[in-house]
Amino acid sequence: MQASEQDTIAAIATAPGEGAIAIVRLSGSKSLELADAVFRSKGPRPSARAGGTFVYGHIFEKDGDGGSGKEKIVDEAVLLIFRAPHSYTREDVVEFQVHGGRRSAARVLRLLIQAGARMAEPGEFTRRAFLNGRIDLVQSEAVMDIIRAKSDRAALLAAEQMEGRLSHYVGIIYDDLLLAQADLEATLDFLEDDLEQTVIQGIADRIAVAERRMKGLLSSWNEGRILREGVFVVVAGRPNAGKSTLFNHLLEMDRSIVTRHPGTTRDLIEEAMTLNGYPIRLVDTAGIRETDCEIEAEGISRAQEAIARADILLYVIDASVGPNGEDHKVISMTSARKKIIILNKIDIVQPNVNELVPYHAYHDVVLCSLKTGHGVQEIREVILRSLSGMDAGESHCCIAERHKTQIELALESIAEAARIIQSGEEEISLSAACLRDALERIGSITGRVYYDSLLDSIFSRFCLGK
Amino acid sequence: MRLEYDVIVVGAGHAGCEAALACSRMGVRTALVTMEISAVARMSCNPSIGGIAKSHLVYELDALGGEIGRNADFTGIQFRTINTKKGASVQSTRVQCDKAAYSKRMLAVLKNEPMLEIVSGTVIEFIVEEDTAKGVRLQSGVSLKSKCVVFCPGTFMNGMIHIGKRSFSGGRNGEQSANEAAKNLDRLGFSCARLKTGTPPRIRASSIDFSKATEQRGDEPPPMFSSEARRIYRMFREEHLDADRTMFHVEHSWSDLMPWLPGWRQMVCHITHTNKICHDIISNSLHLSSLYGGSITGTGVRYCPSIEDKIVKFKDRDSHHVFLEPEGRDTDEYYPNGTSNSLPEDVQIKMIRSIPGLERAEFTKFGYAIEYDFCDPTQLYHTLETKLVRNLFFAGQINGTTGYEEAAAQGFVAGVNAANVVLSKRPVVFSRSQAYIGVLIDDLVTKGTSEPYRMFTSRAEHRLILRQDSAKYRLLSMAKCIAILKKETIIETEHELDEISREMARLKSTYKDGATLAQMLCKKGMRYFDLPGSSQGIGVEGALFIETEIKYQGYIERENRQIANIAKDEAVQIPKDFDYESIVALRFEAREKLSRIRPSTIGQASRVPGVTPADVAIIRIALRRKTEVVH
Ligand SMILES: Cc1cc2nc3c(=O)[nH]c(=O)nc-3n(C[C@H](O)[C@H](O)[C@H](O)COP(=O)(O)OP(=O)(O)OC[C@H]3O[C@@H](n4cnc5c(N)ncnc54)[C@H](O)[C@@H]3O)c2cc1C
Ligand SMILES: Nc1nc2c(ncn2[C@@H]2O[C@H](COP(=O)(O)OP(=O)(O)OP(=O)(O)O)[C@@H](O)[C@H]2O)c(=O)[nH]1
Ligand SMILES: [Mg+2]
Repeated sequence: MQASEQDTIAAIATAPGEGAIAIVRLSGSKSLELADAVFRSKGPRPSARAGGTFVYGHIFEKDGDGGSGKEKIVDEAVLLIFRAPHSYTREDVVEFQVHGGRRSAARVLRLLIQAGARMAEPGEFTRRAFLNGRIDLVQSEAVMDIIRAKSDRAALLAAEQMEGRLSHYVGIIYDDLLLAQADLEATLDFLEDDLEQTVIQGIADRIAVAERRMKGLLSSWNEGRILREGVFVVVAGRPNAGKSTLFNHLLEMDRSIVTRHPGTTRDLIEEAMTLNGYPIRLVDTAGIRETDCEIEAEGISRAQEAIARADILLYVIDASVGPNGEDHKVISMTSARKKIIILNKIDIVQPNVNELVPYHAYHDVVLCSLKTGHGVQEIREVILRSLSGMDAGESHCCIAERHKTQIELALESIAEAARIIQSGEEEISLSAACLRDALERIGSITGRVYYDSLLDSIFSRFCLGK
Repeated sequence: MRLEYDVIVVGAGHAGCEAALACSRMGVRTALVTMEISAVARMSCNPSIGGIAKSHLVYELDALGGEIGRNADFTGIQFRTINTKKGASVQSTRVQCDKAAYSKRMLAVLKNEPMLEIVSGTVIEFIVEEDTAKGVRLQSGVSLKSKCVVFCPGTFMNGMIHIGKRSFSGGRNGEQSANEAAKNLDRLGFSCARLKTGTPPRIRASSIDFSKATEQRGDEPPPMFSSEARRIYRMFREEHLDADRTMFHVEHSWSDLMPWLPGWRQMVCHITHTNKICHDIISNSLHLSSLYGGSITGTGVRYCPSIEDKIVKFKDRDSHHVFLEPEGRDTDEYYPNGTSNSLPEDVQIKMIRSIPGLERAEFTKFGYAIEYDFCDPTQLYHTLETKLVRNLFFAGQINGTTGYEEAAAQGFVAGVNAANVVLSKRPVVFSRSQAYIGVLIDDLVTKGTSEPYRMFTSRAEHRLILRQDSAKYRLLSMAKCIAILKKETIIETEHELDEISREMARLKSTYKDGATLAQMLCKKGMRYFDLPGSSQGIGVEGALFIETEIKYQGYIERENRQIANIAKDEAVQIPKDFDYESIVALRFEAREKLSRIRPSTIGQASRVPGVTPADVAIIRIALRRKTEVVH
């Protein structure tokens, strides 16, 4: 079946995992009809009930093949009825609240699909809400982020975005650029004289302010990515240092194979976890060394690639072997904002603290014995401290991929606009073309339309005409 | 006089003249009905054509076979290029005309058209049957029939003139207003509102002390709008290369069509300025002005403000320019550009006499403001046909615009489309990326206007492409399709275009000192003719076009990409009878606006004020659903 906007769609709306209740949601013109098919209660059928009401009842299933048999109770449920346009999607929406856990929700979903609903694509409810005019573009992107959010903190950020922080901030940038553009356009359309130096300076200043703000927004991109996708934490070190042991400790499960043979881990192993609400993508890697084994060499090169991209690097050193120059090389490969040296196996030898002096100067160093679990808590705390350093705190409003591209292109355009104006060599109509491009891009983030506001801005500030 | 025509054009102003000429030149039998034949193409205000952005409209009309450019060139007394330093895309031509000659020449041109008849009379009613225009009824009682009617009444509908506290009805000072037609439109269901505009007094040249003002001369060689006037100017220059430029001893019998050689003996204008005394006189008399005294309710032009406006709204300026412009060669009248007002006569005299050079000014006419009816232009399609009455077209000031050029552009489009109805040909519509004409009409029919609409370059999103030097090349295919432009001119332009593209290819592929010639051309101050091997076959205009296209290349490519993006939306048609009310998901405001304006494409819908990107997405879905159901 071809997916269509007319289909009635269904999905489990609560996050996977154990919760007290699970919700299955239906949206579309057939929602109530479908509810009639699977739900029984005292009083009128769901389709005969008003919007904004809820009713307690049971989910039924027909016994036997082809549904010819008699009905049997599957689960108890509370049904919530929302009638268009007073719903999230502005369509008819029905929600089934059933017992927590995947199993009963999955069964309700299966029944609904048998009855004619289509399985919703990821984010399809939100897309409908957007298309039906319920929320604006930025908000809909924020909702998608909430849906995809891997942690509470990311969800909070997306919620802020929904409240219009980004729209507000982008609006300020837009207005700066619009004023600069109004100055420029006025000189193009009305004044016959050359541009006065003060006007040029005014335009350049406005552009500079906007540029600073745009760069600020861009830098929040990285932060937004971290919150959306999780902080990329990479465990690295030479073979047999205890990387996989650390990895398993942090995950609190036996995920990676641990043996006494160096070169055990051959590939990247990635798992998602949270630490005090922060989303983390934890990666175990192959130990770095010279090797003739093709498989191991491939694993090492993958490890190096992960090390290079790490946000936080956990570098494990076997205290019984001690640090050497190779370690330095590996550590300097990363662009991680935080590097933590973990000196392991202190149960075997007392580490030579002198050897670690160079590391102390630049990195946190934790002494531990992973075999006994000693020091693991400290490692967690050091990671957590680094994480809160990455959380820029108050004023951030993070941007999505689409915003990032538009802002980057707009930045190029305004840089060129400023260059043309200040050089005084080239025609300023070209500068106006660049600014216009930037305005259209910034405006497209929140859906503002260019020309309506421009002339008003011009007329309110100049004495024009004959 | 016949009683039946293919097209009847009402009102021989700047819109009506273009409309009537377009129709008759397309071969349909046309009547031009107007109140006063001697007032054909009268310049109600400043006798000048062009200026920033308006000039672009004139070049475009010339490229398509319109008359306004030629008429200005042949009756021009001063020619200037303005805004030169800011880039080719905003550079504009302005021609100061001889007011009487301008009107006389246009009349001669109209009379020369075999398919065109000029009828003196006032239209009081439209004959409408089954929501279709069938003709007009004149005050004299005569009825004229036609397949289409183009209505261009200018400022004449319920025109009300204000001078100080005095007001009286009139279409222009000294001319009657046309009120019956306005009533008729109301009965037909059109929604109209009031706008206002104004004009300065006129002053006797002999009473001006020019020594106190700065001279402003025309450019040499004179920049011109029309290829025809340029050709004649060049011919003359080549024949008399060694003669003194200013001595025209050619044998030629001058006529109304060519009162003198275009560009000949330019006249001088002057600049003076207002001062503190002048501003005080105005401030102290504001309560007497019709604008500020309360008798005017219509909305005025922000960008062509009256002097009262300038003084109230820009208090910190202690001086404004006043241009002293002659109204013609053989007249003693001057036009003090910048002093438009609606003050009582005695205040006007005191105020004008406070300006340096005008201390002893004698008035020939007083300034006045005029209020008039216009019809909300969102009631029109892009062809300028009304949505309420088939085959009835509106053009010019009636659609809320101001200016001769804006009026002429609409007249041309309405005329061409009226003729196309008669000829059963497809409508002609200009897009925003094709011409300023397209921007003008799309703005009007999509957004409407709450103040007199004037053209600006900033209204055009593709300004770098829509230059005046590119007009005849970018509009060539449209000109061919409309087929008013002379065959020779089309062939000549095609030939130029061929040569230009060959030459551009050569510049991009020929290296000198490690750089292409095109790269060399991008250096500041470099001109096409400075390049090695430049071809004399490329004229001055072709050279300007090449220079600009090459210097702007990167920017033009970007605009072309944007146009290609938009083109997708412009291609998605919305049926005329599309039911917005049935889309409950649309916000109330959007539903109401879209039902009223009835955009013809998704692209146009996205430009309707108050319609958000989300609304547009909804319409898109709704359209898709519609086609899904059909399939
Ligand atoms: C006082 C004044 C000041 C202006 N100032 C400016 C300015 O500063 N800047 C600017 O850009 N523009 C100005 N304009 C506007 C400019 O003159 C107009 O925009 C332009 O002339 C409009 O052209 P049109 O063809 O629509 O109408 P017009 O040129 O006004 O012509 C209308 C014609 O229609 C005829 N007519 C009207 N009704 C009927 C009827 N019922 N039957 C038969 N014939 C009819 C009239 O006799 C007239 O010939 C001013 C106009 C006026 C009157
Ligand atoms: N004595 C002692 N042994 C440890 C400690 N931590 C890990 N080991 C042992 O060291 C060996 C290697 O541990 P792994 O975690 O597999 O090391 P690795 O760095 O992942 O090794 P490769 O995957 O081979 O690169 C195992 O036998 C562990 O039990 C520790 O703190 N003390
Ligand atoms: Mg391992």
